Amino acid sequence: MIPALAQSSVLAAQTAFPILPALIITPLLSAVAILLVPSHRQSEVRLVALAGSTITGAMAVWMMAAFDKTEAGFQFVVNEPWLTSMGLNWHFAVDGISLFMIVLTGILFPIAILAAVPQHDSKAYHAWIMVLMAGSMGVFMALDLLLFFVFFEVVLIPMYFLIGGWGHGRRIYAALKFFIYTMAGSALMLVGIVSLAFLTASRTGNALTFDVTQLAEAQALGTTAQRLIFLTFALAFAVKVPIFPLHTWLPDAHTEAPTAGSVILAGVMLKLGTYGYIRFGVYLFPQAAYDLAWIFLTLGVVGILYAAVVATMQKDLKRLVAYSSVAHLGFIVLGIFTLNTQGLTGSVFQMVAHGVSTGALFIMVGWVYERRHTRQIAELGGLQKPAPIFAAAFTLVMLSSIGLPGLNGFTGEFLILLGGFQAARWWTVFAVLGVILAALYLLWAYQRVFHGTPTGDNIDMPELKASEGLVLLPLLVLIVFMGVYPKPMLERIEPSIERLVAHVEANVDGFIEPGPVQVPERPSDAVTLTEALEEAEKKAAREEGEVEDSVDEEGREASLAEGETTK
Amino acid sequence: MFLNQFLFFAAILFSIGVYGVLTRKNGVLVLMSIELILNAVNINLVAFGALHQDISGQVFVLFVIAVAAAEVGVGLAIVLLIFRNRRSINVAEADLLKG
Amino acid sequence: MMSLFAQVPVSTPEIQWFYLAPILILALGGVLLITLTSVAPVMRGRHISALFTVATGVLALAFLPFIAARLDGLVDPVAGQGGRPAVDLVSSALVVDHFTLWVSGLISVAVILVAVMLDGYLEREGFESPEWYALLLISASGGVILASAEDLIVTFLGLEILSIAVYVLAALHLRRSESQEAGFKYFILGALSSAIFLYGIAMVYGATGSTTLTGVAGSMTGRNAAGLSPAVDSSLVMVGIALMLIGFGFKVSAFPLHIWTPDVYQGSPTPIVGFMTSAVKVAAFGGMMRVFLVGFGGTFASDWRVLVLFMAGFTILFGSFLAIVQTNIKRTMAFSSIAHAGFMLVGLYAAASPVAIGDTGKRAVLFYLLAYTFMSIGTFAVISIVGKKGDGNHSIEAYRGLAKREPLLAMAFTVLLFGQVGAPFTAGFFAKFRVIAAAAQVERTEAYILAGVAMLGAAVGAYLYLRVVVAMFLDVQESPSTEMADSADETLALVEVRALEVPPATLAVVLLAAVVTLVLGIFPDIGSGALAEAALALVR
Repeated sequence: MIPALAQSSVLAAQTAFPILPALIITPLLSAVAILLVPSHRQSEVRLVALAGSTITGAMAVWMMAAFDKTEAGFQFVVNEPWLTSMGLNWHFAVDGISLFMIVLTGILFPIAILAAVPQHDSKAYHAWIMVLMAGSMGVFMALDLLLFFVFFEVVLIPMYFLIGGWGHGRRIYAALKFFIYTMAGSALMLVGIVSLAFLTASRTGNALTFDVTQLAEAQALGTTAQRLIFLTFALAFAVKVPIFPLHTWLPDAHTEAPTAGSVILAGVMLKLGTYGYIRFGVYLFPQAAYDLAWIFLTLGVVGILYAAVVATMQKDLKRLVAYSSVAHLGFIVLGIFTLNTQGLTGSVFQMVAHGVSTGALFIMVGWVYERRHTRQIAELGGLQKPAPIFAAAFTLVMLSSIGLPGLNGFTGEFLILLGGFQAARWWTVFAVLGVILAALYLLWAYQRVFHGTPTGDNIDMPELKASEGLVLLPLLVLIVFMGVYPKPMLERIEPSIERLVAHVEANVDGFIEPGPVQVPERPSDAVTLTEALEEAEKKAAREEGEVEDSVDEEGREASLAEGETTK
Repeated sequence: MFLNQFLFFAAILFSIGVYGVLTRKNGVLVLMSIELILNAVNINLVAFGALHQDISGQVFVLFVIAVAAAEVGVGLAIVLLIFRNRRSINVAEADLLKG
Repeated sequence: MMSLFAQVPVSTPEIQWFYLAPILILALGGVLLITLTSVAPVMRGRHISALFTVATGVLALAFLPFIAARLDGLVDPVAGQGGRPAVDLVSSALVVDHFTLWVSGLISVAVILVAVMLDGYLEREGFESPEWYALLLISASGGVILASAEDLIVTFLGLEILSIAVYVLAALHLRRSESQEAGFKYFILGALSSAIFLYGIAMVYGATGSTTLTGVAGSMTGRNAAGLSPAVDSSLVMVGIALMLIGFGFKVSAFPLHIWTPDVYQGSPTPIVGFMTSAVKVAAFGGMMRVFLVGFGGTFASDWRVLVLFMAGFTILFGSFLAIVQTNIKRTMAFSSIAHAGFMLVGLYAAASPVAIGDTGKRAVLFYLLAYTFMSIGTFAVISIVGKKGDGNHSIEAYRGLAKREPLLAMAFTVLLFGQVGAPFTAGFFAKFRVIAAAAQVERTEAYILAGVAMLGAAVGAYLYLRVVVAMFLDVQESPSTEMADSADETLALVEVRALEVPPATLAVVLLAAVVTLVLGIFPDIGSGALAEAALALVR
């Protein structure tokens, strides 16, 4: 282990610049700047928004570089008093779980701004996007329970305006449905939050606090109270994810939202739910999460299969992608409630992967709509002929969404299934069916839209423009990079996840995490997660007839060594 | 006399008053019904004052009488305004406000 | 025979006029205004009455910090107040403590803001009359009396002074029949509820033999100093408490006594509705808290708080659900104000619970009153502007495209509406948070259920505010000029053509309210010292 002295000096260096508040304040300031731009200079509005979001994104990436990957706990901590009489603090910090959510937010927002131009009211549109960015940043770094709730709710407002103001068709209906649904879902969570804080305070005799780490360490609740409060949290997150029976707002919101809205909704906002399960559900209520995991495993698997079947029947391309999101998030939920390192790591990884690939899918569907003014699959066809590069890019993104080995979708899904087989075998068996179904509906849709001979307006489908290609490029690079070389991400995620799993083990009666990989002939702790993944990938790659193998020997040794130290 | 005699009498007056407020359609009669309730209270207060040998019950009655007079004054003024605008003091006809 | 000129001392209660300053300033201000305008024609000029009222309100407000300082400097706080700084005035008729100051402050602020918005309103409607302002001031003084009353007789007087003036104000739009109808309805039901309230006081007096709150509380715990009636007739007390709850429930428009609210709000002049939702509600909750927590806070608290529990739950549900079907914004806001009253009742329920840790419930109600005063006055200031001449343009359709025509107004209104939703970073959020926290602190199953019901009601209620926001921002395609007010008055169709006139002063009120809503939402610690002291002053 690293000596405490060195560690503290690292932390001191990190806290010199308040990067986390800066990540919230920069977008907010640019929102204000946008409002100050005179209305007749519309193009500069876009420039300001782009600059603000890019600077924020760059800071997020810089933070990832400065992130101490040997440290499993929270970094870049900022903790200032807010409402002292109620024990509230501005408590922001980042660990391996939230780090990539923040980076994802930082990358997706500038791309979403670039990908689509609003039809009207450019000023208000970009201002709302920047407010949304600030809110999304805040929600991933908040470590005060109420502060988290505040950000969790506050992102609804800009999203509501974005869908309602710049969406398509039944946008007002979709916006209202989105707002009321999520608001009702999280209504009980506030009751849960204050109950948790007050019960903990009265049981432990400590001062009232909403600090997540303190509440998680205290574990002062009885079984029933813990389960009930966990369920209030779970309901709010389930609506946000969305988990199967509560998903009906999502296709409407996605379909009617403007492209940028869809990208952010799928890429960032749905992750609020899954992130919430990991950070708050499992961390604060390990016993309840363990006891009730079967509910979420079941609902996750049902969601995967149901969404896959429904997606197959969709006539609207955007709706299809929306349903594929529901299926993917089902996988993530499955991974979370395996409660073991592989499953959870896979979930975190898959959250990012899904954000990148589904974001790219929505962008491309948006471009199809811009060109053809329809998203009906029946009215499209043979787009491959007039626009081959477009089709090629779409293929790559779609394959990553299916989970093709070598692309980002595979890594996360594989880890989730790996974790799932140890913790919840039968659920996972059914979940695997979802992988096959995903291939089915996406490939079928691709076939109908891009293959065949173009008819009518489809003949004149414009090709991917260079500017559009540049917008898409970062996402495509990420898709490939995360697929072939996931180690930099995994090694940052893993320590925090292991810490979380250790926390669950310590606080759940009779729960011992199954070994990372159950290979009988070897002691289980000799194999690290990264290695198992790489092996599986190699095997899968061989099966696919590909010879692409970019395993870095040094990296493997490093990860082995690191895996031992963290054990 | 017994305390409960006063209380019952007051309770009956109170009930008549509430009934009047709820059923009467004539604005002036509604005002009179409210006066009945206030007088029921006055009887209670005097009776309890006598029970407790306490002056504040009787003092309270004086306040109530004064307030009741003010209230009726305002009430009649409003009834008069309605009458000027609509030539009727039937409260059932006042039905402009609804959702 | 005693000589007229011999100086024989008589014992009169000592009156500390300084502490009475807010009540005296407000009441005398009202009387002075009506007198001056009758005798001096100069006073009848434009804006003068409004300026006078604002000055009076500011003066009353300016006294509060000094009174607070004097209170804190008291060497020997009054006994029976738990050692908290408090002064009994006029032989224990009134008590001035930090709670009184908080309520007085809110009422004074409400008077100032309503007077400012009333000025533009009266000018538009063509009324140049000082009696609106005089009644406003007198009603406000009644509110302060109600909240500081230490004797049930004075409570009743305060309630009546507060109410009677508002009955008149509600009916004072002489050209609108709706206004008179609203005034009459308000008057009849208000007078009925006051009479029932009075009956309750009589019952409590009969059972305890005392009309002072400390006397009532003392006799209930069997520690009456005079030794009278140690065995209190508890059934009589329960009847009395229930009847008094009806009286206060009516004033704060709690279920099932809320039915008057939509009608009265719809018909009354809009700035007056702003006064009803702010000052009247503050005063009624102030009086209710003092009477119930100080007077009945001891033995009987566990009985009446069950009533409050049910009242609160149903009030929130009714307010939230019935608002959905409304098309008139004033009716919508009436239901919203019912729902807000329900939230405050949740706080009162928590405050009545035997909780040793802190006064979360009391603080929740007091903060809620602060937040709601600003939010509701701002809201009704906007409604008053959009109402146009004749005060009848109140369908939600009238807000269509407001963001295009009056962007600043629409933005401020959006902040106020989201504040009422309870969206984060607005005062409304912390108001709801404090209430829910207070309920959670009770740590009882029914309190958790109540908190859950309250939050679900709030989520449903969000729809009603969002509908207005949708109309303002999102329905931009439809031309606003095609929309007609759904008022019965057909001449309004002609008025409709005229553009919205926004009096700068009223706009300032709206902006101030919006800014306060935001500032309290971002820095909720502001004023929490005064809030804590105000809550601590109510010792059971």
